[in-house]
Amino acid sequence: MTKPNKLKFKEALIGWQFSGIYLIYAAIFWGYPFVWLLILAFSRWKFFGKPKPAGFDNFIRLFQDPIFWRIFWNTINFMVYFIPMVVLGSFLFALALSKIKYFRTFFTLSFLVANVSSGVAYSILFSNLFSETGPVNSFLYKVFGFTIPWFSDPQLALLSIAIIVTWKFIGYYGLILFAGIQAIPKSLYEAAELDGASKWIQFWKITVPLVNPALTTVLVFAINLTFGIFTEPYMITGGGPMRRTLTFLLHIYTTAFQRMNPSYAAALAIITGALSYGCVILVRKLVEREVNLI
Amino acid sequence: MKKLVLLAVLLVVSIMSWAVNIVFWTAPNPQQEEFWKPLVEQWNKEHPDVQIEWKTIPAAGSSEEAILTAIAAGEAPDICTNIFSGFAAQLIEEGVLVAFDKEFGKDFWDLVKAREMESVIEGWAFKGHHYVIPIYANPMLMWWRKDVLQKLGFNEPPRTYSEIYELAKKYAVPKEKYAMIVLKGRNWWDRWFDFITFYYAASNGKPYIDVEKGEAVFNNEYGKKVAEFIYTMFKNEWTAVDWGQEFALNNLKALGSLMGPWSLNWAKENYPDVYNNLWLSPPPVPDDYPEDASIKTFADTKGLVMFESCKYKKEAFEFIKWVFSNPQNDVRWIEMTKMPPARADLGTNPLFSKFMEEDPYFAAYAGQVGNAVPPALITNTIDVQEAMTTFLTEPLMYLKSTPEQALSKAVKEINNLLW
Repeated sequence: MTKPNKLKFKEALIGWQFSGIYLIYAAIFWGYPFVWLLILAFSRWKFFGKPKPAGFDNFIRLFQDPIFWRIFWNTINFMVYFIPMVVLGSFLFALALSKIKYFRTFFTLSFLVANVSSGVAYSILFSNLFSETGPVNSFLYKVFGFTIPWFSDPQLALLSIAIIVTWKFIGYYGLILFAGIQAIPKSLYEAAELDGASKWIQFWKITVPLVNPALTTVLVFAINLTFGIFTEPYMITGGGPMRRTLTFLLHIYTTAFQRMNPSYAAALAIITGALSYGCVILVRKLVEREVNLI
Repeated sequence: MKKLVLLAVLLVVSIMSWAVNIVFWTAPNPQQEEFWKPLVEQWNKEHPDVQIEWKTIPAAGSSEEAILTAIAAGEAPDICTNIFSGFAAQLIEEGVLVAFDKEFGKDFWDLVKAREMESVIEGWAFKGHHYVIPIYANPMLMWWRKDVLQKLGFNEPPRTYSEIYELAKKYAVPKEKYAMIVLKGRNWWDRWFDFITFYYAASNGKPYIDVEKGEAVFNNEYGKKVAEFIYTMFKNEWTAVDWGQEFALNNLKALGSLMGPWSLNWAKENYPDVYNNLWLSPPPVPDDYPEDASIKTFADTKGLVMFESCKYKKEAFEFIKWVFSNPQNDVRWIEMTKMPPARADLGTNPLFSKFMEEDPYFAAYAGQVGNAVPPALITNTIDVQEAMTTFLTEPLMYLKSTPEQALSKAVKEINNLLW
């Protein structure tokens, strides 16, 4: 009777040893900051002394803050630009990738380079290239007689940043969709062909429905990304013009470390997290379908 | 033998733990590091019982951020330099700074006297007390490309708005080259170096915020003139909304810009063409500004503070006194940093005459220390200047509203923040 018990204990011990490292790591680098975040959000604290409880004050203030609503609309606006662009772009990239026979790795890597480049580095590069007095605008003005205020027009600046972020993520999302497309059994297309379905019909009736898991993944990633934009507006526009490129993260950062109000920033961070989680759930409800590939 | 070693170790440890240790942070800037390093070494050699542990402010987005996180982590320094007035005001409100005049009384005033800071320190009083020892005061001045201006027929740099318009008509070509950099960017601190400087110049140094009443007061005739100037420059495409990374005075996209003295060494190294062809002049003023009156400008000034958490306040103050009561140290400061020390005798003390004669650029800046007005001592500088950006300078640069509308909107928004 004792033997199996001993074995169980031993197994459990090994299990704990393996997971223990992760659990300790999570407790220190995830659990502790999370608890601290909750404490901060419901208190008043400015880096000195002990946090004073403040109930829901930070949250109430948040919904009355015009800057919060400005950022909220900026984020929605950004999604309207970014998500169609990046989904369409990476879909086309994935389709092209599945059609070509040679140099596939080369093309994949070329697109992935954008994804692994330093955000700070390419932000400086883009802000130089597309500045009001930069080479692109000088060229446009000399040849066509007009310039495009990429980063200085309130509406266009947001679109420009959406384009940069799209450029960065097309390769990565494209690869996810490519894997999804590759997983669709070839026999389905062959069967469709025998039944006389055109390529167009095959695309809509086979590829699009069956790539759904990959597409959902990409959409979830893209939404999370929208709520986490920081480097590009921080480096290029500083949140301007007219606060039109101000993002949640940028505002959280300046509120905590420049305005010296970490407790308000914590409330902001919680609301940002909740909003992004809500959007993800919504998208999954709307888009996700169960797919069985046998 | 073993016992002897143990004894020796114990002895060293106990001596080290007896010595007073003072943590001292300075600006992370190579020139300033060069200034502090030998000084701290010398002090530590001469005072084995009071050791200064010197570090530069850790790398972070800004020094304020690094200091705040250090305080939150309980790792705050005892004394720290590179503190601007608004940040000092925030720290004072939280009660973490030592009031030098309260804590050290006569010793503090002796130091003020020894360093000739009586007039300079007035702008740093907060609710009647002194929490900051100003180290340097950087007046803002216009840099103009002398060579190009001379070619265009100017014998001296433009002084008034009209003279700048005249220059623009001669030089500016839309989308290609412009008269001057009018606005410096969209960071909150950029407003010090454009609107507030212009406003101080136009109004002869009148405050833009009434600190006592807590209201913005720049919606007056001076503010209107400045806003009108900014608007005119953008409307006629005599200035651009952004300039790219290269210094516009180097590629001649612009001929003039407001600059601080900290840029002198930078320009000397990176843009020698610019450095060797400069005219320095006070900020531009409205056309009806009196001919013979001196022109005020903005002072970017940073100082030193002591934290309440400092255990050895007396010893720390001894060190501060040791550094700043010796004018030779300010001589070295100028050599290293080219920034005018915050003292009133730069023009009169023979120790500094060397620089005033040898280096005309430094002389130009140092000569303006008396005309340089520090920013308003308010706790929410960042919010106020962010609002100034969003409601005043951006509408003007994108021609979204008239100067009057922008001014009254900005003042209203800022008053909401101050209230």
